[in-house]
Parts: sequence; C-alpha cells; structure tokens
Amino acid sequence: MVSTNKKILRVALMLTYTFIIFILLFLLSSLYTYFNTGADRSAMLHTEVKKVDQYLPKVDWKENGNEGREISDQKVAEILNDYLDSWYVKQASFLSNTRLGIDDYFTKNARKNIFNIIDYNKENNISIESTTLKHNLDLEFFSEDGQLIVLKDNDVVEYKKTLKNNEIIMETSEISDYKAVLLLEDGFWRIRHLVKEATKDFDKTTTAAQFDFTTLKGINYYPQATPWDMYGDQFDINIIKNDFKIIKDAKLNSIRIFVPYADFGKANVKEDKLQKLQLVLDAALEVDLKVVVTLFDFYGNYNVLDWTLNHRHAEKIVDRFKDHKAIIAWDVKNEPNLDFDSRGKANVIAWLEFMIITIKEIDKNHPITIGWSNVESATILKDQLDIISFHYYEDIADLDQQYLTLKTKIKDKPIVLQEFGLSSYGGFWRPFASSEKKQAEYYKEIQKVLTKNSISFMSWTLYDFDVVPKEVLGRLPWRTNPQKKFGFINNKGEKKLSYKYISN
Amino acid sequence: MFKKVFLLLFLQLIIVSFNAQETNAVLLSKKTTYTVHENIKLEFNIKNDTLIKLYCTNSYGSILLKPTILKDKISFDIPKFLSKKRGILYWKTINFKETISGKISISSQQQPRTLETYIGPPSIDAGGLDYTMLVVIPTDSLDNPILDNSNVDVKYQFLKSERKVPIKTKNLIAYRNIYSPRKSGRMIVSSESYGLNSKEFDVNIMPAIATNFKIYYHRNHDYADGNQITTFYTSIIKDKNKNIVSDGSYIEFYITNKKGGILKASGTTINGVAHTKIIHPDFEESWKVQAFFIGISQSNVINLTYKKVIEDFNTQFFDNNREIKIGPLTSFMDQLIPDGLAVKLFIYKENKIVGELFKESNQGYASFYLNPNIYENGSYRMVVETAGIKKEYNNIKLW
Repeated sequence: MVSTNKKILRVALMLTYTFIIFILLFLLSSLYTYFNTGADRSAMLHTEVKKVDQYLPKVDWKENGNEGREISDQKVAEILNDYLDSWYVKQASFLSNTRLGIDDYFTKNARKNIFNIIDYNKENNISIESTTLKHNLDLEFFSEDGQLIVLKDNDVVEYKKTLKNNEIIMETSEISDYKAVLLLEDGFWRIRHLVKEATKDFDKTTTAAQFDFTTLKGINYYPQATPWDMYGDQFDINIIKNDFKIIKDAKLNSIRIFVPYADFGKANVKEDKLQKLQLVLDAALEVDLKVVVTLFDFYGNYNVLDWTLNHRHAEKIVDRFKDHKAIIAWDVKNEPNLDFDSRGKANVIAWLEFMIITIKEIDKNHPITIGWSNVESATILKDQLDIISFHYYEDIADLDQQYLTLKTKIKDKPIVLQEFGLSSYGGFWRPFASSEKKQAEYYKEIQKVLTKNSISFMSWTLYDFDVVPKEVLGRLPWRTNPQKKFGFINNKGEKKLSYKYISN
Repeated sequence: MFKKVFLLLFLQLIIVSFNAQETNAVLLSKKTTYTVHENIKLEFNIKNDTLIKLYCTNSYGSILLKPTILKDKISFDIPKFLSKKRGILYWKTINFKETISGKISISSQQQPRTLETYIGPPSIDAGGLDYTMLVVIPTDSLDNPILDNSNVDVKYQFLKSERKVPIKTKNLIAYRNIYSPRKSGRMIVSSESYGLNSKEFDVNIMPAIATNFKIYYHRNHDYADGNQITTFYTSIIKDKNKNIVSDGSYIEFYITNKKGGILKASGTTINGVAHTKIIHPDFEESWKVQAFFIGISQSNVINLTYKKVIEDFNTQFFDNNREIKIGPLTSFMDQLIPDGLAVKLFIYKENKIVGELFKESNQGYASFYLNPNIYENGSYRMVVETAGIKKEYNNIKLW
C-alpha cells in the first residue's frame, strides 16, 4: 500500500518536474524567438522605392527644342517630376500652412516668398485648398553644365478654394502663364524664380452634346452572382451576354452600368479591367443595347488634392471608349448629392463641374449626365449637363407631379428617371413590408405614369442578389436584405410577377 | 388718377434707389502698372462693410485681405511680400454685390543688386570647338530677375587678349557661350550689368586631343644579350594647335616580335614625352614597335633587330653522363656572357619528354645534374637550348 502511494508520489513528482521544465523551455524559446524577430535583413537599408501617385495634372511637354544644351528624355522626366512635385508641396503647404517639403523644391531665396504667404495666412486663419489641372510646359533654356533651366508653363489651369476659419469664402479658377528658373541642387530641380506673366479667369463653358434618342427604356444592370463587382475574378462574358439577351427580349433598349474607381486602378487604370469593360460594351452593341456608363462608383473623397488623380482615371476610360457605338451617355457619378453632408456641397459640386469639363474635352460627342438621388437635386449643374437624370424611390403617387415640376425648370434638356424600383422583400415577420405582388403592382402603376408622360426610364434592377457588399449599405441585415430583392428575376432565374411590367 | 401717378413715382423712386445701391462699388485706383518697390493700394467707394474682403494672388500664392475703412470708402493695402514680386497680381473682391476683379502688372527694377552667375563646364578643350557657358541672372534689390532685354556685359581675359561682349537678358536670364582659344591655359571670366560686377570665375583650357606622333629608340648595342636595356620614347605629343598634352597622359608601346607575339610596355608623358624601357632579348630577334595614345592617336612603326651573340657552345657529360655542363658561353667579343642567360635542357625517353630543366648561366657556365631517383638508368635523348640555339644529343646512356 505504502509502496503504491510512493509510486504515485514519484510519478506525480516526475510529471510536475517535466511540466515545469517544459514551461521553462517554452518561455526561453519564445524569448529567443522574440529577440530574433524584427526587421528582415533585406529591408534594413530601406532600398525599396515606394512611390505613390499623389499628383497627376495633365501635362503637355512641347518638343520644339530649346536654347543651350540639348536635353535627354531622362532629364525631361526628372524635371517634370520635380517641377510638378513643387506645385504639389506648395499646395499642401498652403492648405495646412506648414513649411513641410518646401525646402526640397524651392531654393533658399525663393522659399522665403512662400513662407511669407504661409505666415500671413496662418496668422489670419486662412487656408487655400488648390490644385492645378493642366500644365503646358515648354523648355526655353538648358545650360551647358546641366544645372539650370528656364521653363515656360503656359495655360496652367488652377483651381483654388479659399477658406477662412475653415469656412469656404470663395472658389476661383484661373488660367495663367508662368516662367520659372530652376536650379539643380542636391539632386533636386528647385525653383529659383517664378514669374506669373499672364492670368485670367478660367472659362468653364463647354459645348453641349446632342442626345439623339427618343425614349430610353432601360435597366440598371449587375450580373446576378457578382453585383457591385462586375469586373472581378468571376467575370464571365457569357453570363453577361445571356443577360443582355434577356434584357433585349424584355423590349428594353438600354442599360446602365457602373465603373468602380478603386477596382479599376484609380489613376493608373488597369488594362485588364478596360478589356473587360470593352467586352461588356461589345456585347451590348451585339444586341443593340445602348449603355449609360456610370464612372466613379465607390468613390467619395472629392478632396481638391485628389482631383488630378480622378481626372487621369476618367481620361483613360473616356478616351478609350469615346468612339464606342454602344455608349449613349457618360454618367459622371452615381448619387453624388448623398455626399453633400459629409464632404461639403461646394466641394462635391466643384468636383463634378471640373470632371464634366475634363470629360467633355476628351469626348465632345457623348452627352453627360449625373445620377442625382432625388428630384430636388436634379437642377444642380443643369446648364453643364446634357441629360438630367434623377432617381426616384419615394411615393409613386407624387411622381407625376414631381416630374412635371422638374420639367418646368428644365425646358430644353432630356430628363431620365435613371433609377426606381421596389424591393419585394417581406415575409410573415414583416407582413406590411412588401411582397412580389406589391412589387408587381408598383411597376404596373409607375409604368402608367411613364407611358403617359413618355419619360425615359431605367429601373433598378434585373436580378435579385444573394450578397450585397458591405460597402454599399453597410452590414445591417434590415438594410441589406431588402436591397437583395429589387430584381425582376429572382436568384434562381425565375421571373417574378413584376417582370410583366418591366417595360411599357 | 392722381393716386396712380403717385404710385408710379413712388415705384420709380424705389427702383432708382435700388440701382444706386447696385452700382456703388467702384474701383477708385486706376493705376495698373507698378514697379516692385512701390506700395500698392486699392480703393473702392463702398460703405463700411466688415464682410468685404479682397482675394489676391501673385506668382507664388494667394491670400485674403481685410479692408481699411475710411469715411466713405474702403482700401486694401497689398502687403509688401506680394507687391515686391515681379509678375501679375490678380485680385478679386469678395462679398461685393458684384465681383470686381483686376490685374496689376508689377515690373522689376532696372538696376540689379546681385548678379547670380553660373559657369560651366569648368574645363574645356583648346582649339575653338569646345565652349563653356556663362549664365547670369541679374536680380534687383527685391530678388526679382530684372527687366527683360537688359544689358549684361560678359568679360573674359586670356593671355594677352581681353574681351567684352554685350548680351541681353531674355527669359529672365542672360547667357553667352565662350569658345576656347587655340592655346591651353586659364581663362578669367566675369560679367557686368549696369555698373554692377560679378566675382571672377576661371575656366581651365585643356589641350585638345593629341595628334599622331613619332617614336624613337635608344640602346647601347644591338646584340641580343638579354642584359642591356632598350629605351623607347616619343616625340613631344601635341594637339593640333601645338599645345603639349597634359602630363601623365598614358602611352602604350606595342612590340610585335618575329613570331607575331606581342609585348607591351607603357609610359606616361612628362612635357609631352613618354619613356619606356625593355630588356634586350637573349636570342636573335627583330621587333616592330608602335605606340598608341589609346583611342586618340598613334605613332609610326619602327623596326629593330637584335643580333645573335652566341654562335655555338660546348656540352660536356660527366659522372655516368648524369652531370651535364654547358659552356663556356661567350658573347660578341668572346667575353663570358653576363650571368642569368637562360639555359634549358629537355630530356626525352623513347621520344616522350620526361623532363624539362631550367638554369641560368653563372660565370659563363650552366650545369645540370640528373638525379638517379628520377632518371633511371637507360638511354635518353637530350636537347640543350640557349640563346635561340638548339643542340641535340642522342643515345646518352645513364647508369
């Protein structure tokens, strides 16, 4: 008995011993591991180049020779880079009234001029939010020793917003000619002298584009499986082609699609995405569907210093597809008026206005519209737009009246009801919410109004969706679930009751 | 009737008074061109209104100005830091009933205060093809480039010549290419504008690229004794304008021998002449020599021959033929050849080479010992070679 107890005790002691040793070893080894973690040897020198596009105004370099030494393309690239950076740091400094970065791009004497302005503005609580949209550079002179250049920068389009105590005092856009002397110091081309030689207000008028289409009968389109992610990895042109056939067979003549900003690569638009968009447009052309292309989906910054990047994005896409026969209009942005509260109404409108100018400069033929989320906003920028588009999710009984009121304000431009619809989401737990029947009833009623006034329309949307990305409406199920049931066709591919009233 | 007229009159009065209010903001300052040192003041005849501001932008940036309120007008003093910069100053009113805007053209002063001068490259080739560039940015007392089309004189001195060339400013700067003179040396450059002088700059005028040259040789005698030294040297190497090339220019001498092999020797120039030395061959030889200033110029080709010094020699075998003594080796006057002449012994067994031994001559003799541990007893063929002469001994028996 005693020996059994002893044995138990011995085993227990040994186990405890092993356990303690195990714990100790574990602690020591994790300590050892800790001291061996940290920077990777290859990363110690920080040799990797991290260049993020911050500022990409449209730049035209005139190749008409220059006095002095002949210049190489390599040098031109260096000068362009530093000269544009000098504008960027200057604008960043005037915005925050700090001196950061100025030293790198202005010589000792030249930077005093900027510091004086910063100091004055700081004292008076003024800040200037500005950007330049266009530079036309012409090298006048390059010294024989490669250390000095004289640069002419004509028709610089500058947009400035002046804030006092963080309130917008004024907005202005100017077009100016500059001459600059730059010196190569410490490997930077630094501005030594900058002289504004001419300036005037920037003329924002654009020419109107014709919209020669009687009545749009269309639908907002996303594939059933990949809503809000049309050009992702699951992109399948055959599904889209099939959907276009369904749309065409439903006696509709147009669709509205969306180009997500970040997904397409922001300022450096990705070629593979453009090719996917090309396939979609070609597919639409095949069945003779007209396409309204909505740009800047999932974009909501509008920051003045972000403009040049946005412009390069739009430029790339519009330039690529400006001659595509399927496109009937460019929609600059979907429901930008919803960003008025968070981003400032003036900000958003200025952004839209300059985006219209940019797009029109590239594509003079296609009309431009903006998908305002309600009738009240539809008059904003009405003179700049070629088509007025609004979305309507309110009471169907008021539509007729609202439309007629809008029509009195907009006399000479086509009006499109660009989004409308009703979710069929409901069930026994929400008996009063909705149902397929109610949805069908809704479309039946609304089609009466549309037919009566021969309003161009684009309904929301073809399919019921299984997923709604959190970026669209957040994660809350009582918000996302109704959004899944806006379709004319359910997620199994069966036509819902409303399908009967898809067109008039 | 009377009522109607009264009403009409009353209405008109209201309209007139509105109009008066609408049009009352007028710019009183009509001057639109200033120079940088002047103070700029903009006056408007508008009643006191604290909301009124002026937006102002010049070459470097933009600001908002508060008005100074006088009795029946307001004025804006453009701050010195904006008005002292050359260029266009653009202004716009804020919170006026009608936005008024205007441009003021600010020109720089004529008289420069500093001459920012840049010169480069700092050394150029003589001969009038290469040039250096002088760039001058004359700036006024407020650090603006002075008016376009202003006068700048470029002055430069070289040897006895002193020149002064007038140039004009254009695109904010003035520049002049200064071509090199024919001679090498140092050029002094400076500039002047409206009585203001820059500091002195100097430019080194380096000799241009060398032209072809000649080479010569010097030796004590023409015997191939492997002992004496032949010196090769160049003529004075000059560029096309007779400037002697810089000291230390590297000259390579290529020697091609009878068999087509190449020997190289090199030297650097001092006062245009490069020397190099090479030891005589120890056998009859003829050399072709040419020197190169690599990539730039070359010399003529010279031929040298070296005469045989040894016509024949004796070979003696001792100690079971294991000791082989070669000599006496005598030179051109039958004197013993200086120590160090290479003597080679090749040992063949059944036409296969089994050994190759090398000795340098000492006191006119060279001797070899064939170790019995290496060279077993037997019959061998031996070849002795020295000073380009080969002698063969067949069936030499070692035991």
